[in-house]
Amino acid sequence: MSFFDLTGTLKPLTALKQFGKQPHTISYPKVKKEAADRYRGFHYNDLEECIGCGNCSTICQNAAIDMIQIEGIDGKKGDSGLRPRVDNGRCCWCALCVEVCPTGSLSLTKDYLYVSEDPDTFLWTPGVDNPEGKERVSFTSTGDSSLNVFQRVPMRELEGKERVKSFAEVVLGYNEAEARAEASRCISCGICTEVCPDHMHIPEYINAIAAGKDDEAVRIIYDNNPLPEMCGKVCTRRCEDVCALAHRGEPIAIRWLKRYATETAVTADITHEIVNPVIKESNGKTVGIVGAGPSGLTAAYYLALRGYDVTIFEANAKAGGATMYGIPKYRLPIESLDKQIEYIQSIGVKIHFNTKVGKDITFKEIYEKYDVVFMGVGFPAAWTLGIDGEDAQGSVQAVNYLHAINSGDKVEIGDKVIVVGGGNVAIDAARVSKRFGADVTILYRRRVEDMPADWEEIEGAEDEGIHIIPQAIPVAVHKDENGRVKSLEYVLAEMVPDERGGRPKPVEIEGSNTTIEATSVMAAIGQMGDYSFLDEYAETIKVDRGRFVVNDKQQTTDPKVFAGGDAVNRTADAISAIADGFRACKAIDEMMMGTEK
Amino acid sequence: MKELKENIIQRLKTNFADAVAGSEFSYNRVDVHVKKETIPSILFYLKEEMGYVHLSHISCVDWLEEGEFELVFIVWSPVDKVKVFVKTRLDRENPVLENIDMIWRQANTYEREFREMFGIQFTGLVAPDEFILEDWQGPPPFRRDFDTAEYAKKTFWNRPGREDAQDVRETISGRDGEEIPDFAKKYSR
Repeated sequence: MSFFDLTGTLKPLTALKQFGKQPHTISYPKVKKEAADRYRGFHYNDLEECIGCGNCSTICQNAAIDMIQIEGIDGKKGDSGLRPRVDNGRCCWCALCVEVCPTGSLSLTKDYLYVSEDPDTFLWTPGVDNPEGKERVSFTSTGDSSLNVFQRVPMRELEGKERVKSFAEVVLGYNEAEARAEASRCISCGICTEVCPDHMHIPEYINAIAAGKDDEAVRIIYDNNPLPEMCGKVCTRRCEDVCALAHRGEPIAIRWLKRYATETAVTADITHEIVNPVIKESNGKTVGIVGAGPSGLTAAYYLALRGYDVTIFEANAKAGGATMYGIPKYRLPIESLDKQIEYIQSIGVKIHFNTKVGKDITFKEIYEKYDVVFMGVGFPAAWTLGIDGEDAQGSVQAVNYLHAINSGDKVEIGDKVIVVGGGNVAIDAARVSKRFGADVTILYRRRVEDMPADWEEIEGAEDEGIHIIPQAIPVAVHKDENGRVKSLEYVLAEMVPDERGGRPKPVEIEGSNTTIEATSVMAAIGQMGDYSFLDEYAETIKVDRGRFVVNDKQQTTDPKVFAGGDAVNRTADAISAIADGFRACKAIDEMMMGTEK
Repeated sequence: MKELKENIIQRLKTNFADAVAGSEFSYNRVDVHVKKETIPSILFYLKEEMGYVHLSHISCVDWLEEGEFELVFIVWSPVDKVKVFVKTRLDRENPVLENIDMIWRQANTYEREFREMFGIQFTGLVAPDEFILEDWQGPPPFRRDFDTAEYAKKTFWNRPGREDAQDVRETISGRDGEEIPDFAKKYSR
């Protein structure tokens, strides 16, 4: 390079020609660049959406997430009350926690800068410590990207047209592969167990099924429910309403999985072999039980396991109470119930059938003979409609009709049946009548969506061709010259919102009277108790508004007498009755063994 | 496209006796399975004779239940505009494969990663011992039988202030009085 070569000195000056031009790469004033669309920065948790299932905490491979109590958030049914807290010093932002979040409340934000000298400040409760994160979420959980399986394994059923031909069971049950697949969807949070009146160990038995250990599942199920196959077929399954997956998808088929597991124990003997119950040596105490319904059978089973000498007095020829006589056989086959009761008898429970307390034996005898008495007497009597002409021949109560059919009796209903009511009993009576070839219409005073019956039952009824007239209030039954039901007159109703915040009330529309032909009218508007068997004990055993008064241990106002089932609780379902029986068993055991707390 | 893909498979089958066509795809993808001994020659053939000059990716799948690793070589031809997936299986107990970094130099980096993360050995590989992990003593961490959560629990300690953590299942069962029997607890989360 010569001395006069100035290229290297002057070349950089060429850059001056750009002076004053609009730059291509940087904009002024300087705009901070946004992170990418699916950037995985700090966590944000929508505290309202979150149900505290803890799936994020479980999946975290770095153990960076704790579930903690937060001020102002209380646990309730369907919400553990806990919320995740993240140790950002351990988090690696893999976002698995977001991908497994069932509700989609947890997400990652675009924020990724945080500097502090104090390592303790890296512990964050998303949503509490960074409420502004709500506006900054980027990596969110969507139904498509979620690692949860939101679709339930479909249940096979008989076709509607096939169903009405017989009393064959409608639901066909899961096979092994289907059950394993369905059980594997469960995230085992246990939120469901709080809602179950009996607090069954749901995640445990579902995990056992998923692991291929059906026997273990059956043992876990029998830990606090001696009639699980019945529950597996007809439970009101409030557990499924709060299932974590139900927030964005279909809940785990908890009921069908229980049914699958218990059906693997095909006979009472096999059930005995699988459950392998430990029966304590006799402690010499005796318990008399009135009524072999779910609550009585439950108390009997667990008391017998604890060494008590248990005797049940049952008015009917078969045990099971309302589950035997109230539920149609296409939902709960008789063999299934018999198997479970045979098993309960096999561990030493004595049942006296066709022995009505108050008629064949007095309550006094039982009270004096046994150390403790448990009453699971249910609601045997039905409400009547209270309208003109109800005494007509062919006007019956739906429960009585179901009772007769389930006992094997023939009932003349004709070919045009009208069922009044919107509960499960109404739907059951309608679907049974349909199976006897009648045209069936259901009258309900409110809207279809207000019907207390299971939606599956309502759908099933519609599938089978049952006509539902909503917002219709019966006013009179008309008779023919022979005193038989000829027609039913009803008025239509409009729904008026309740000013006090209750559910809308049906109010009659004047002049909307309609009459439909009928050969039979069935009332299914509720049942009530019949406590005449108590005789002189009615003074000490108090009844309030149609139900026994009991404390939280199912003990009535007479300390020696306990009660459970429909005659006590307001939920009127089998699982609540089972829960009552189980609670009473524990209380009786504590009282008799002197370990009362 | 269909014809082109069939031709590729046909040509590979003719030249490599152990080549088996894999799953079919509606788009520009061809899968072919070979024995591990064939890997260097089939990749060399694809690159030099068939125009698959670009090595897009090498991936590894741990078939734990079958006791095998599967290596997937994805090569691309800018002329055919087709991706060819060459797959081979290695014994999980003794995973050894011929080094192929003389065909594509960048394979060297993939091989180092597989050696560290899956414990697969490549005969003739010349590369520094460590790749990403420093002073790693445990089993190769990308193997499916490596329990990340357990490792994290063993290796790191919880910072103070995390003692108030609660178990969801216990919180709920404590609240409603549910008594979970001991034999059932192993099925709890």
